Amino acid sequence: MISRRDLLKLPGLVGLASSFPAFAGDLAAPDYKIDIAPVTLDLSPRHKLKTTAYNGQVPGSLLRLKENQPVTIEVTNRTDRPEVVHWHGLFTPSDVDGAMEEGTPPIAVNSTTRYTFSPRPAGFRWYHTHTMAMDDLTRAQYGGQHGFLMIEPRENPARYDQEFFLALHDWGGYMLASDDGAMNPSYAVATINGKAMGFGEPLRVKQGQRILLHVLNSSPTEVHWIALAGHSLRVLALDGNSVPTPRTVPMLRLAPAERVSVLAEMNNPGVWVLGEVRKHVQALGMAVAVEYEDRRGPAHWEQPSELIWNYEQFAAAQPVGQSSDPPIIVPLVFEAKFRGHGAMEAWMINGSSYPNARVAPLIRGKRYRLQFINKSADDHPLHLHRHSFELRSLGTPLAAAQGTSRMDIRGIIKDVVLVDSQTRAEVEFTADNPGATLFHCHQQNHMDLGFMMLLDYA
Amino acid sequence: MPSRSINTWHLRLIVLHALACLPLLARAQANYEIQVYGAETVPPQTLMVELHSNFTVEGQQQAVSGVLPTYHQEHETVELTEGINDWSEVGFYIFTSEQDGHGVQWVGDHIRPRVRVPDSWGWPVGVSLSTEIGFQRSAYSTDTWTWEIRPIIDKSIGRWYFAVNPALERTLHGPDVNQGLGFAPSAKISYDFTRVVSGGIEWYADYGAIGNISPVHNQQQQVFVVTDLNVSPLWEINIGVGIGATGSTDHLIVKAILGRRFDWGRHSPID
Repeated sequence: MISRRDLLKLPGLVGLASSFPAFAGDLAAPDYKIDIAPVTLDLSPRHKLKTTAYNGQVPGSLLRLKENQPVTIEVTNRTDRPEVVHWHGLFTPSDVDGAMEEGTPPIAVNSTTRYTFSPRPAGFRWYHTHTMAMDDLTRAQYGGQHGFLMIEPRENPARYDQEFFLALHDWGGYMLASDDGAMNPSYAVATINGKAMGFGEPLRVKQGQRILLHVLNSSPTEVHWIALAGHSLRVLALDGNSVPTPRTVPMLRLAPAERVSVLAEMNNPGVWVLGEVRKHVQALGMAVAVEYEDRRGPAHWEQPSELIWNYEQFAAAQPVGQSSDPPIIVPLVFEAKFRGHGAMEAWMINGSSYPNARVAPLIRGKRYRLQFINKSADDHPLHLHRHSFELRSLGTPLAAAQGTSRMDIRGIIKDVVLVDSQTRAEVEFTADNPGATLFHCHQQNHMDLGFMMLLDYA
Repeated sequence: MPSRSINTWHLRLIVLHALACLPLLARAQANYEIQVYGAETVPPQTLMVELHSNFTVEGQQQAVSGVLPTYHQEHETVELTEGINDWSEVGFYIFTSEQDGHGVQWVGDHIRPRVRVPDSWGWPVGVSLSTEIGFQRSAYSTDTWTWEIRPIIDKSIGRWYFAVNPALERTLHGPDVNQGLGFAPSAKISYDFTRVVSGGIEWYADYGAIGNISPVHNQQQQVFVVTDLNVSPLWEINIGVGIGATGSTDHLIVKAILGRRFDWGRHSPID
């Protein structure tokens, strides 16, 4: 007897199934089901909030998938608007990647769709809505439509005793005038796994354990800094990809859509706060207690005196093998377009907003170097769909001569990178996954207002 | 003689008219801070220093009840506003006047606490409430102690900005002490031509006592054409030219506001 999985392993059928998700889904029961529906969340005793979530919970169900093993996920849209689910960080075909701009069909209101794909690469990914919010700060990524996606490698070399998945999120958005002369979202509540400090269950640990924390920043717009009081964190992976040089750090910085996987030794018994380093954000609720066995009482916080983070520390100590062919360089200039002090800014890539921003089609197999030239007053978390990229340089002041980079970084593979205001950064990727590919800023308000570009393959 | 009788009659009319206008003439001296307030307050650990410079090109040319004429008076007002927290502030004013024959004179001081609706409440408009109390010398205002309460409502929509200040005034010491509450609204509408340059109209009025609204001639009605230059978050620049539309209003005033924000606290990134 052939199981659905066996059937899908047959040559050709995987691709066929991927191309026609609904067809593939008809073959058997799905591996997972996701219901998109309105829900009322209790973020804290003082904050009850109506939003939209996956399977009635925030974050949505943790989906553990096997690398390269076909999976079918059935999604039902019980909201009043078309939806789509993006499988962030996976090398999926365009029609199941979950971006309508790439050609993934929307899930109509009160209808069901099946996504079938072979998940790869292994690592900590996530899934989320890829719709627009515009001025409605309750929709799209401002709401609760996000969940963890763990693509298990065939062999998992990590040694740990307990694993926790943590999602950082901001809620209750409102518009606030900012120093850049435009309106930007600000938030009333900040949570970890949908609960403000003191309202959710603590992370229960035992002395001597090694805990693996998978931290996701699912915030629509905010960068977050996270520390575990009384402990340091050893960074193993960024965006789900192992780093060449794991480092022990006092805190993490995560831009929207970034993930960091860290190992922490439970060697300091007590009840500790794991939370936002910045006082005003932690005061909004972004913290959770880490409670050792047989320890009770209020969670203890040790306030760091500064914010410390850089990507470069995790780079390869020695340059890794370099391709003999120089990459094709694609400069991308980011600029804001003023729309009034009472509005959010619009955004342009190379002088045009989506869908008019374009570059030459990608050639399959070629290596590309994207030059991010951020002329705006904002930092931008930039995301490339359906591919990963390698960081090559960061933080080069725009005033520096073209071609001079602050450093040559190797070996850090990511799918989101935060590019600071008034700096240049460079990443490289290989065009090895043909199909329409979306590139955008992962700040919801930026992508809503033009900061997107579709890359086509020749 | 008939002609003399007529002149005397005219003179009596002028005196009566001047007496009737006294409260408003007193308020007409209030051109020390010509500004429509926005709802936002100064952030905590921040001091806003503003210099209000107002020159009356055409104004009252005679002294009335001992109050100096406004004609060619140069008013320089220093305003210091300290943010208390993210929803309140306190402002302090030092009023001065310069005029030929009188030199630079201290006019008075006011103190102005203000609270506002926090942004996190998510109200569709900005709302704050200011109250101002202070003293001014009788040479510059017949009412020496005054109190004002000023609701402030504003809204930015795209490139447009709207603000309205329906202020109520009360004399605590002076001829108008029995007059009750006066109604002195102001409003502003402006448009952002660029990120830096905004232009618009500001309107200032004083209708006299509530329940006893003054005739139009005795009201104050001023309209300013203004520009705001948003050169930096640290600076505030507002320049305008205003005309008075009634007989009780100074007819032509040029105004300027230059403000600089100073962060005196220790602003750490971990805050």
